[in-house]
Amino acid sequence: MLIDINNLTFAYGHKLVLHDLSLTIHSGDFVVVSGRNGTGKSTLVKCLLGMNPVPNGVIFFNHEDINYFKNWTEIGYVPQKFDDFNYEFPITVSEILSVSKLRRTKESLKLKLLDDMGILENMNDSINSLSGGQIQRVFIVRAMLNQPRLLIFDEPTASIDRKNVEYFRKTVNKLHAQGVTIILISHEQTLEDLDYTHELHLDTNLDYAYAARPPLPETEDIA
Amino acid sequence: MITLSFFSDLFTESFMQRAFFAGIMLGVLAPLIGSIVVIRRLSFIADTLGHFSLVGVSLSLFLTFSLGNTLFADKPLYLGIIFSVVGGLLIEMFRRYYKSYKEISMPIVMSLGTAVSAIFFSLSNKVGSLFNYLFGSILTVTDYYIVVIAVTALVVIVLYLIFVRQIISVSFEEGNAKFLGINLGVFQLIFIIVLSVVVSILLEAAGVLLISSMMIIPVAAAMKVGWSYRSTTIISILFSELSVFLGLWVSYSFDIPSGAAIVSVEILILVAVAVIRKMSIANQKKRSKPDAGSDFR
Repeated sequence: MLIDINNLTFAYGHKLVLHDLSLTIHSGDFVVVSGRNGTGKSTLVKCLLGMNPVPNGVIFFNHEDINYFKNWTEIGYVPQKFDDFNYEFPITVSEILSVSKLRRTKESLKLKLLDDMGILENMNDSINSLSGGQIQRVFIVRAMLNQPRLLIFDEPTASIDRKNVEYFRKTVNKLHAQGVTIILISHEQTLEDLDYTHELHLDTNLDYAYAARPPLPETEDIA
Repeated sequence: MITLSFFSDLFTESFMQRAFFAGIMLGVLAPLIGSIVVIRRLSFIADTLGHFSLVGVSLSLFLTFSLGNTLFADKPLYLGIIFSVVGGLLIEMFRRYYKSYKEISMPIVMSLGTAVSAIFFSLSNKVGSLFNYLFGSILTVTDYYIVVIAVTALVVIVLYLIFVRQIISVSFEEGNAKFLGINLGVFQLIFIIVLSVVVSILLEAAGVLLISSMMIIPVAAAMKVGWSYRSTTIISILFSELSVFLGLWVSYSFDIPSGAAIVSVEILILVAVAVIRKMSIANQKKRSKPDAGSDFR
């Protein structure tokens, strides 16, 4: 999916968070959004998801203005936390996934995705009984069920669980290898284990840098 | 004392048959809609709509009193439904207006409904009939009411079965609706209209003060024993039907308001579930603990 952002400026009240940001993301790109806390990473994603209002002529998906964009099912979003989900009411993983695939996707796709994520055996478990990392994987499967062309991730922070962050990163790399366009907000210092193609770095002084990843230095064959 | 003539009257007395049939319908409708209300954390909405529906009922009584035999004589349900829907739309309007304080919408609409209905009840000299509307009277429902509640139950169950995926998706997480191709605005509007109609229809049998209890309590009890969405919904309907049956029996035996009897049984089930659950958790812990003396054998 082609994404065009033209001179995006966004403020919460009088507090300017994003200023004059322009960039183009091509189909198949893997963009990492980095920067310290408060530089507007989440704000940018909310703008892209239509949760923060932007004026006409600023964000385009496949040349279509976001304010008139209808095909939201082509986009999958996996947030950092799932505070909005009502956990206390009993619901199984399978139920969450079966109600999510409104277009009747094949049962085999669901099982394959669950297997890929290592949570196939938890299919009939209540969501309450899963760990934070497992819940994250359930929601990645949910986002993947509609076979989206663009996936937007807000990476869980390392302080929650180091192992899960590693697993999460491997999964994102795999999805990118399958041809899905990816935007990932990273809260980590290291980005080396991600197969990203571009980095958008947001600075505290409203500056930003958007560049393709420099090619990795070739390792010399000593033997 | 609990009387067994309840069972013989159930087969011979038409008023008992009507009450029983209305109760069965109510037993399905209330928890089915109630489960959605609970998941969406809108437990006060049924109370609010009930109070606003009362405006329609009182206005109907006032029109009959001041204009004589009108279209609304003996059928306060018509205006009750219309005003309940108006109340629902007002709630939705205030929820959008006070985005960060959505719950403010409830007391505003509820107090407006209470105030206006009190005025109309007083102007129509029908303050006495207020008791029936506050606490409900399932034993006095008419054939006409049976038809209305049966049609409503049928429509609600069919809508539920068709849209269950959308209902669960939006209920558990509103923010994700867009990515599933669900129009949240249209969903909210349809939900609030269906809820308003159900509340105003339950008004006559359950009463303003007990409608929300019938919607919420069986679901609250089922949540603690259900293991999935489907099992929780089915258990809540079973709890609700059991409460209706036992409540009607108690109400018949002691000549007390049926709504109050049904809700009392529901509360007893809720308490029983909590106690049994606590005991079984304690037992499990005990079993999983190693024998205290085993280390010394």
